[in-house]
Amino acid sequence: MQRLSTGNPRLDQILCGGLVADAITLIVGPPGTGKTILAEQCLFANVTVERPGLYLSTVSEPFDKLLRFGQGLSFFDNELVGRSVFYDDLGDAVHEGGLDAVSERIDSLIKQHRPGIIVIDSFKALRTFAQSDAEFRRFLHDLAGMLSAIAVSSLWVGEYEHDEATNSPEFAVADAVIGVETKRASERSTRFLSVRKLRGSDFLSGDHVYRITPDGLVVFPRLADRRETGGPTAVAERRSTGIAALDECLEDGYWSGSTTLIAGPSGSAKTLMGLHFVYAGAALGEKSVFVTLQENRGQLARIVSRFGWSIDDPRVTVMDRSPVDIYLDELIYEVLDQVEAVGARRLVLDSLNDLVAATPDPMRLREFLYSLVQRCAHHGINAMLTYETMELFRITRLSELGMSHIADNVILLQHVQHGSEMKRALTVLKARGSKKSTAIREFQISSGGIELGGPLDLSALTT
Amino acid sequence: MVTAGESSSWYQPIYSIGAVASMLGVEATTLRAWEDRYGVVVPARSAGGQRVYSRNELEQLRFVVDQLTGGTTPSAAHRLLADRSHDVDAPVSNDPDRVRVVVLLAERDRYAVDLLEYFLRTEGYEVVVALEPTAAEQLFADVRPHLSIVELMMSGGGLELCGRLAVDGAPVLAMSALDLADQAIAAGASAFLVKPVVPLLFVSTVRDLLGSSALTQRSKATVR
Repeated sequence: MQRLSTGNPRLDQILCGGLVADAITLIVGPPGTGKTILAEQCLFANVTVERPGLYLSTVSEPFDKLLRFGQGLSFFDNELVGRSVFYDDLGDAVHEGGLDAVSERIDSLIKQHRPGIIVIDSFKALRTFAQSDAEFRRFLHDLAGMLSAIAVSSLWVGEYEHDEATNSPEFAVADAVIGVETKRASERSTRFLSVRKLRGSDFLSGDHVYRITPDGLVVFPRLADRRETGGPTAVAERRSTGIAALDECLEDGYWSGSTTLIAGPSGSAKTLMGLHFVYAGAALGEKSVFVTLQENRGQLARIVSRFGWSIDDPRVTVMDRSPVDIYLDELIYEVLDQVEAVGARRLVLDSLNDLVAATPDPMRLREFLYSLVQRCAHHGINAMLTYETMELFRITRLSELGMSHIADNVILLQHVQHGSEMKRALTVLKARGSKKSTAIREFQISSGGIELGGPLDLSALTT
Repeated sequence: MVTAGESSSWYQPIYSIGAVASMLGVEATTLRAWEDRYGVVVPARSAGGQRVYSRNELEQLRFVVDQLTGGTTPSAAHRLLADRSHDVDAPVSNDPDRVRVVVLLAERDRYAVDLLEYFLRTEGYEVVVALEPTAAEQLFADVRPHLSIVELMMSGGGLELCGRLAVDGAPVLAMSALDLADQAIAAGASAFLVKPVVPLLFVSTVRDLLGSSALTQRSKATVR
């Protein structure tokens, strides 16, 4: 089946290769959701002089406005307009002669331009010109007949509400339906795109976050990976934690491709555990990506240098992002791209709490975490996430969206009262595939980082 | 100007070996022998194993035929062809002195009839339309068209119609939404296009089959 690129590679990925060519696609959603931009982006991505594109406005989009705003978009090429992209207005036709005149006008434009792609914007507006449902259905039938008679892809754009979708006859006629909408949750609005119908093709279901940029719609396919069963499962080997005594506890470090959760209260050295991990990799020549939503680069540089490492180490790529304005999907794609670009074997995300705060939908975060773990395992990448517990002492539970369940390793860092002293303690709560030691071990922080000591004398612990 | 490089239709497999042979004025057996011996022009095969040539391959073979007319040996001509670094431009036709060329369009879909008839007429052809096979045969007998275009899914048997219109020597262009290239060519069609058709490809195919394009005019002039 021939495909038509949407002009956005990730949206094409959602559609398993693009829109189906020579078919009718409806783009639906409320005002201000980028429908027109998506249609124009698709149009400009597919036109040639041989098979030009036709953009037909109806009554809701004033013609000149369409052109004026279109020019602000990077894909809008003035040079093409009048050569391989033709804008025209159906407004006069529909006002003077109703839907019959619209059919005639489209027919004559097809004959004149022999287009490969046609956009009708807004299609919904045409409906109000039908005297009856029957008349509108006849018009639809005519139009669909015309558009099927030769090889032409068409995009019908309309401000349809969600429930209108199922009842309108144009939805039955369409071969594909793409919905765009904005949802508000906890003071944040997020744009979502979904494929509601795609004849003759599979597609990635669910809501996909998108942003409207000068390059058009940039879409982030929902991360919802199935469990990896085949493929290049990396050779199982051990990866040093960067802390000699901890490596011993875990029988030479974490398994390659495993995910580790470092949990503990504020100030319990979670970030330091992450730094140990990436710089241990660097010492072995392995590349890492360290994502921090906690510190900015300057703050992190100071911490790093205190332990004798360098923030400018070319084997460690630091991505610092402000936790207040992150969008989970966008961040994740940025991180995954970066991991791939540098060929990282180790990835640290500091912290999971920031992702929780940025994601109004816990289901979505869970899906993401699961997908991340699967992807990393598949590619033999070791991921580490830090999680700050609410309780300072006597941590009784980890409420981190089931991450401790998904992760292969869980390490708990605590402050404990030991007699009259406050001590730091490390416990390996979980280490999949290792004979772990269950001891609560004391540790200290020196200029060399974490120094793991012996087991704490439990009788002296104040509980 | 549009060059061949920009046009994917230039590489689309369309013509049967018989149609190519008649357009170039060489035997089909010769084309097969060249393909076996030199391996330079190797057409795509349909699912059923039939050779289906693109416009590009047709033009390449025409180049070979031109060379032969000039006294070159077949092997030298193929070597010259292989040496050509890029494909030649798509021919531009302006059909100077065509006289009354009639095309029979046998198609059941009125929307397709409307558009295809229009595209044919803008090319200067006269068009007669039949909506079903019986009417098509009657029209064929009455007007003796230069080319018949047959939609294979016509109720009443498009494929059979294809065979009946092809026996009298006039070329037949078969079309269908299903890929029936094999069946169409076996039934006697000269060429097959899958629907929905790209208008430009449609008219250029018609032009080639009628031998009225610059491409085929030139090859006739040089071979004879």
